[in-house]
Amino acid sequence: MRIISANPLERTRPWRREHPQCSSEGSWRALCARVLVLAAVMATLSVCRAGAQSDSNFDDVKPVPILTGSTGFISNFTGGQPDLHPILTPLVLVPIGRQWLFETRATFETDMVQLPGRSGFHGGTVQKEVEYAELDYIANPYMTVTVGRFLTPFGIFNERLYPVWIRNLQSDPLILPIGIGPSNASTGAMIRGGFKAHPKFNVNYAVYFSALSTVSHLDSDRFAGGRAGIFVPLARLEVGGSFQHGLQDARSNAFGFHFFWQPPALPLDIRSEYARSIQGSGYWAEAAYRLSQIPFHQNEFRRTQVVARMQQYFVGENAAEALRPANTKVFEFGLNYYFMDGLKASTNYGRQFGDAGDANVWTMALTYRFVVPLGRTGSE
Amino acid sequence: MARRYVLVCVLGIMAAFTLSAIAQEHANSAGSSAVVAPAPGAPTAREATHRSAMTVAAPDAVEERVMRLEGEKRFRTNCGRCHQPPHKFPPRVMAAAIRHMRVRAMITDEDMRLILKYMTQ
Repeated sequence: MRIISANPLERTRPWRREHPQCSSEGSWRALCARVLVLAAVMATLSVCRAGAQSDSNFDDVKPVPILTGSTGFISNFTGGQPDLHPILTPLVLVPIGRQWLFETRATFETDMVQLPGRSGFHGGTVQKEVEYAELDYIANPYMTVTVGRFLTPFGIFNERLYPVWIRNLQSDPLILPIGIGPSNASTGAMIRGGFKAHPKFNVNYAVYFSALSTVSHLDSDRFAGGRAGIFVPLARLEVGGSFQHGLQDARSNAFGFHFFWQPPALPLDIRSEYARSIQGSGYWAEAAYRLSQIPFHQNEFRRTQVVARMQQYFVGENAAEALRPANTKVFEFGLNYYFMDGLKASTNYGRQFGDAGDANVWTMALTYRFVVPLGRTGSE
Repeated sequence: MARRYVLVCVLGIMAAFTLSAIAQEHANSAGSSAVVAPAPGAPTAREATHRSAMTVAAPDAVEERVMRLEGEKRFRTNCGRCHQPPHKFPPRVMAAAIRHMRVRAMITDEDMRLILKYMTQ
C-alpha cells in the first residue's frame, strides 16, 4: 500500500523513508555539522581581519598563565539540620599566542553532617570534578569558537554567577538544573561572541552543540541550543533569552529568559531569570543593595550589601533527579560584608514553602577569590 | 581522616589568603580609595583631575586621559554587572583575565581593549 506523505521533503529526500527512525536525528546532525563547518570557515577567513585590527598597545601586553578561583566555607542549617560545606574551586587560564585560550576549572568539595548519637561532623567522600576544560579560539572581534567541555550557556546563573565569591546568596536557584545538562556542562562545540550592534546597545550570543557522554563526572546530554542577549550600557540593562532542543530521549525543548539591571543612580543590582522545560519551570528574582549611600559610618556601610530573593518552582511532566520533587516557593534575605576585594562574609535566612513541607534555611559563608600568576609578571 | 584533612587544608588556605589579602589591602588602601564605591552621581577624583587637566594638557595626554576615563566607565559597566570590580593586577595577569572575561562574559572587543588599557596603566 502506497503512503502519500504531506511532507514535500520526503519526496525530495527518499533516504528518509528508508531510515525513518534516523530522519530527525540525521537532519539535526546535518544542520549542526553545517553550522560548525560554516563557523570554522568564517573563523579561518576572518583571521586576517582580526590581525589587521590588532592594537599595538593591546598586543604589547603578553598575557601570562594564571591560577585563579575561589574557596569557601559554607554552613547550612535546613530545618534545624546543620551541614558544613568546604569547597575549593581552582581555575587555570593558559593564554596561547594572541588568539587562543585554554581554561579549566575543577571543584573539590564535601558535605559534613552531624550523625545521631555521634559528636562532631561526618560526611561522605571528597567530591572531585572537572567542571569544564575548554579551548577557546578568538577568531575575530565578533566570534569565539570553543571546543571541549564547557559550561552550558542556558540562562545566566550557570555561566556567570555560579562561583561562590560572585553569587549574592550562597544557595542555588531552584531552576538552576533546567537546561544545563548533567554536571552543569556540555561536551562539544560552541560559537559565541559580543559586538556593538548599535551605538546604544551591544548584542551577545552563544550557539552550541553537545554530544552524549556517559563517562563518570564528565557526563553530558545530547542537545543543541543558543542564547542571545542585548546589553544597553547607558541604562546598564541586559535582557536575553535561551533556547535548547534535546536530541535524545523525549527530544523536548527548553527555553528561558534573563534580566540584569543596575540603575545608574543607585548601588543596586536587580537580576531575574525564568526557565521552562518538561522537567519543570520556575523563576527567581533577586535585588542586592549596597549601603554606600548611608551618610554615616561610610567605611563600614559601603562594604555592606543587603540581598533579597524570591523564587518559585513548579514540577513538570518528567521530574528530574536534580530538581525538587514538589512545587516549592522560597523567600530569602541576606547580608554580605566585603572585607576587601574577593573576601566576603555572608549570611542569609530563607523560608521555604512547599508541598513537601515548610522549613527555615539559614546559611553562613566565608568566601575568597584568589589570583596567582604562573609566570613572570614583568612587562614584555 | 580524609575529611578532616580537607577541612584543615581549606581552613588553612582561607586563613593564608585572608592574611595575604589583609596585607594587600593595607598596601593598596591609599591607591584604591578612589576606585571603591564612589558616590553615585558625584564626580570621582579621577574625573575632577581630568577636568582640571583638560585645559592645560597636550592633545595626546588629553586623549590618553579620555581613553582611561572611558576604560574606567566600561570597566564598571561590564565587570560590575556580575561581580565586585577587582583591584588592579599586574598587566600580564590582567591581559589573561580580560581574555577569559571576553569569552565568559562576551564583552565586546572595544570594551576589552579600553578596560585593559585602564587596568594596566
